[in-house]
Amino acid sequence: MNVSTHKAPELRSGSQILIKALERNGVKQIFGYPGGTIMPVYDALVGSGLKHYLCRHEQGAALAADAYGRVTRKAGVCMATSGPGATNLVTGIANAFMDSVPMVIITGQVPSALQGTDAFQEVDIFGITLPIVKHSYIVREVADIPRIVNEAFELAESGRPGPVLIDLPKDISAGMGEVADIPPGQRPAGRMPDGKALQAASEVLSKARRPLIIAGGGIAISDSVEAFRKFVARTNIPVTSTLKGLGVMLPDDPCYLGMLGMHGNGAANHAVQNCDVLMVVGARFDDRATGHLAQFAPSARIIHLDIDPAEISKLRKADVAVVGELVPALEGIQPENKAKPSWCAQCANWKKEFAWRYDAPGEGIYAPRLLRDLSLAHPEGLTITCDVGQHQMWVAQHCRFDDPLNHLSSGGLGTMGYGLPAAIGAKIAKPEATVVCVSGDGSIMMNVQELATLNRYGIDVKILLFDNSALGLVRQWQELFFEGNYSEVHLDDNPDFAGVARAFGIQAMSIKEPDEVSDGIEWLLNSEGAAMLHVSIDSMENVWPLVPPGKPNHKMMKSNPRNGG
Amino acid sequence: MNYTLRIQLSSIEGAVIRALGLIERRGYSLNKCTVSESDGAHRDMEVSVTSSRPGDLLKRQLERLHDVYHVELLPTVIVNPNKPGVRPFTRRT
Repeated sequence: MNVSTHKAPELRSGSQILIKALERNGVKQIFGYPGGTIMPVYDALVGSGLKHYLCRHEQGAALAADAYGRVTRKAGVCMATSGPGATNLVTGIANAFMDSVPMVIITGQVPSALQGTDAFQEVDIFGITLPIVKHSYIVREVADIPRIVNEAFELAESGRPGPVLIDLPKDISAGMGEVADIPPGQRPAGRMPDGKALQAASEVLSKARRPLIIAGGGIAISDSVEAFRKFVARTNIPVTSTLKGLGVMLPDDPCYLGMLGMHGNGAANHAVQNCDVLMVVGARFDDRATGHLAQFAPSARIIHLDIDPAEISKLRKADVAVVGELVPALEGIQPENKAKPSWCAQCANWKKEFAWRYDAPGEGIYAPRLLRDLSLAHPEGLTITCDVGQHQMWVAQHCRFDDPLNHLSSGGLGTMGYGLPAAIGAKIAKPEATVVCVSGDGSIMMNVQELATLNRYGIDVKILLFDNSALGLVRQWQELFFEGNYSEVHLDDNPDFAGVARAFGIQAMSIKEPDEVSDGIEWLLNSEGAAMLHVSIDSMENVWPLVPPGKPNHKMMKSNPRNGG
Repeated sequence: MNYTLRIQLSSIEGAVIRALGLIERRGYSLNKCTVSESDGAHRDMEVSVTSSRPGDLLKRQLERLHDVYHVELLPTVIVNPNKPGVRPFTRRT
């Protein structure tokens, strides 16, 4: 009797094949929201090995998947139906694109025969998202599903990561096929940096009198933090960081000068304007970091390290471009000497001169001091997610990060509403971490519905909500650059946020006096389960320093805290 | 500056519009475009663009696309050296 060892694939639906392909790519958790055209996939989800988190808006699902992707360096997965479900994902997809976050997005689509007929809940999500994806697919054959899913994960996670969208017409997800599963292939090796470029970089650094490094988010994305810290220890070159580079350097490292840019530290901005060689590592000369580009680091030769060749000389011409993986690049750059002591001493002086002060007079709670105290109360491994606005900049300035993956902030897109869903994604990715979402009274309302997700799954996220009854950063700009002509920034009619939290089943506490801060932080960090600390602050508080638009980085406006309010 | 690029790309759905969208979005004004089927799996596209931004940057941005296989930047032809550079996004009349 002949027994064939070849097992013919069984007849399965496109959705079952999809779920299996996701599992084969290591997916364990998905964020999403069901609806008409994605129903076959939700049908196949039941009884699978995937845990689905029902967010209460598709944007929340996409932003949770974004944070999950940042923390794990594996693609976060989100899923929604066609039409409004898909368009609601768009902000989250753009967020992941701008910050180079690995993400796979699955959207339902109307059946192929109805595409292009303005069918119910039909939108061309493939077309809508073309500018904000690394790649995208419309699935046309059930048999293509395993290959497309494998490719999507490989693309999302390799090189410079990014979001990859798979649009799945309902006739494909519900269609049947005898399709074999395909194991994910071996990932291609990363691009190695060119030896000549490494030598050129070493030579330029060897001749430098005032070298400086900008540490960018690419260091965390490529898991190069240790290699980077070793490079700095070996060369003694002073370091500034971008918003996404916070945590690459330990906050107390003597070589570390803090964040540069619009709301950066004076030491970092003065160093960058005075350096003669600037080595930019995994960063892309964002306008919030450079200030007026033509006057940025005016005397510096540029060494640019990046995995993406299209970032080289995009905004600032690179004198030496090192394209490829960061770890071998950092190991291969060998300057002949350490940074000159006189330059390091100058940087140390700036660091002393521009050290943050927390002794500001005033009656109310001072948010920067509260954030510093929060960091000190939980000195190791505290994960902070941010929304966007004044509180986001105060977190960047005053919280202490020992790992860039502990600071989740919407850098490129600046998405108000990122903080709460991001905290959900981060906590699910890293259940052992203490996760605090720092938000503002403007931002929290952008995705406030995700309080229900916290409650539904018992997700232990702490929310620190600064309430200045205003859209604070816009108000600050109107005060400084629009002659105090305040337009649509007052939020005096805010709801009772503690009451809102309680209505969603989240415990809450409100404070407004400085002597309540210590107890408030202790209560928040030690509460069982999700909790909100609602903190009332002065509505006229500003973020200092500030590089005005169109000015170089050393022309910082500064005010004594609470004095220029 | 005017640039001409030859782009070999996949004949898969969306590949052409993805490349054309990138060209305009990155600040290169599209003057001329021809697309031809080279074989079942590939298409050849030739575009002529105008921008004050460098041509090799557009080449690298196009090369980033997954369904673009090859990009060749042809030698630049300076049409009128006395004319100031055309700014990105300015529409030709």
